[in-house]
Amino acid sequence: MGSTEHISKQFEADLDTTRTRVLQMGGLVETQILSAIDAFASGDANLADQVIENDARVNGYEVAIDGACNHIVVKRQPAASDLRLTMAIAKIVTDIERIGDEAKKVARMSKRLQEHGPQHAQRFPAIRHAAQIAVKMLRQALDAFARLDAASAAGVLKEDHEIDDEFRAAVRQLVTYMMEDPRTISPALDIIWVAKAVERMGDHAKNIAEQVIYIVKGTDVRHTSFADIEREIGAD
Amino acid sequence: MSAALIALGLLAALLALALYVQRRQFGKLRRWAAQSRLTDPPEAVGDWGAVFNLLHRHRRTNLKRRRQLAQLTVRSRRAAQALPYGVTVLDGELRLDWCNQAARLHFGLDVVRDRGAPILNFVRHPDFADYLEAGEFSEPLRLRAPGQAAPALSLQLVPFDEDAWLLLSQDVTAAERLEAMRRDFVANVSHELRTPLTVLTGFLETIRDLELEPQRVRDYVNLMAPQAARMRRIIEDLLALSALEHAPPPPEARVLLRPLLERLRTETEQLSAGRQRISLSIEGAHDLLGAESELASAFLNLASNAVRYTPAGGEIRLGWRSDAEGGEFSVADTGIGIESEHLPRLTERFYRVDRGRSRDSGGTGLGLAIVKHALARHQAALSIESTPGKGSTFRARFPAARLAPAPQKVPG
Repeated sequence: MGSTEHISKQFEADLDTTRTRVLQMGGLVETQILSAIDAFASGDANLADQVIENDARVNGYEVAIDGACNHIVVKRQPAASDLRLTMAIAKIVTDIERIGDEAKKVARMSKRLQEHGPQHAQRFPAIRHAAQIAVKMLRQALDAFARLDAASAAGVLKEDHEIDDEFRAAVRQLVTYMMEDPRTISPALDIIWVAKAVERMGDHAKNIAEQVIYIVKGTDVRHTSFADIEREIGAD
Repeated sequence: MSAALIALGLLAALLALALYVQRRQFGKLRRWAAQSRLTDPPEAVGDWGAVFNLLHRHRRTNLKRRRQLAQLTVRSRRAAQALPYGVTVLDGELRLDWCNQAARLHFGLDVVRDRGAPILNFVRHPDFADYLEAGEFSEPLRLRAPGQAAPALSLQLVPFDEDAWLLLSQDVTAAERLEAMRRDFVANVSHELRTPLTVLTGFLETIRDLELEPQRVRDYVNLMAPQAARMRRIIEDLLALSALEHAPPPPEARVLLRPLLERLRTETEQLSAGRQRISLSIEGAHDLLGAESELASAFLNLASNAVRYTPAGGEIRLGWRSDAEGGEFSVADTGIGIESEHLPRLTERFYRVDRGRSRDSGGTGLGLAIVKHALARHQAALSIESTPGKGSTFRARFPAARLAPAPQKVPG
């Protein structure tokens, strides 16, 4: 009796530590997004380099957490909600890592844009705004994960379309520039890459929120309409 | 034999009675003690009474002490709540135990739900984890998300008790912004003065080192003079600004508006030199109470800006309107206008929408800062409306307390 209790306590501690590490990784990626967008808006090449360099830290987190998840599955053989949590953590980590990759992409593009001339980036408040929303979504998804709060996670799903709107606005603006002056085509294409990267960040934040709902409710809400998800969460 | 039996029976009856009485007393005691509220002890006989009273006293002191303790707890919580700092209580493993309202705002914590969770789950900035890792808590940590507008926090972890930590947090966004402004100001002043100085030294060296014809020297001197004048203007503006900042409140002397505005129109026309159409309209018969020189210079500053940024053929309307609720001086132009993103920062010292342009046109970058200050000393607020390509309107709104009805002209 005493020993099984001890084991389950140890197991819970393992899961807790892993969860905190996932959240820390998320915090790191959050600053990566903000720095990358700052580098994009200000044209600060040093900041962009720093983001690119820091991505190794993000990857280090991913490897370590994946290892911890494997360890938990093999050694503790979790069942039911614990298994769900473990599997979901593995998936969330992948999404956070991808967001990190997108941030790195933004940093790279910012450096390349500098070669075309410094004035391009500041004109795109739509992209900066979309990045703010992406950061907010990621933050909310991580908070929902920390608290295992399905309702708050569902709130994240609602915001994704705002980013899509900003993305479309940025593309429209870029198309106008390209039509007016063919010399802007090359930088405009790079800026579209930045906008696309930000849009992908929103998608990954949404995936994280979906995993939180899966952990709490045990239902897979991927590829489900928002109305259905809301019904699902309000069901109990 | 029978006497012995009777005695025994009597004894048994007595014992039974005594037992009954004791049990009753005991039952009373139990019922009394079971009450959560403190009431007077039940009536009791003999030693029971003493026991009851003793117990009653104990309970009363206990209750009093408990109340005092509860009060102390509430008071210290309230004190922690009232602190302008964020206070977060963490256990030995840095799990959340309690936090005050400020900390709740700083970290987005929810005390009820997040109690017992690692603080690292919520304070996820990588610098915080590094700070904990380093274990050097004598210096506070500046936590700031990347980006210009991000708020900044100053954190410090303080050990308290065995196995507990206090995390103090403070919002230093405003302080940091002020610091940055001060830094910018010094850098800007130096830069603004250095630019004309560079030109001056360049010419001086040329004149000193080369044998030039007198005509060339005169040409150079003619180019140098405006640079020196520019430096003088900047210094004069800086002194004016500093004087406004340190001067006592303006007097409540009557400033006759009509002559002041007429003069303003003449001066504006001189500045414009016929390039723009200047008009003046006055509605309402009030004068202002304040310092005439400050008001005149603020109004002229606004008018000269309009001249500077309105292309030839444009129009500049100077206006004054007043009623019982207050007065408003306005300058509307059909100039180049200002993008809305610049409007909130326009009155900052040395803030420029277009660096090259405003310097070419003779601005020092301090004009609007002076205007804002001079107006604020008269409790007036400056508001700016502008459409790029269409023009701008600057309004100075004075409260009724700064108005005085214009004196009636005695007929004849």
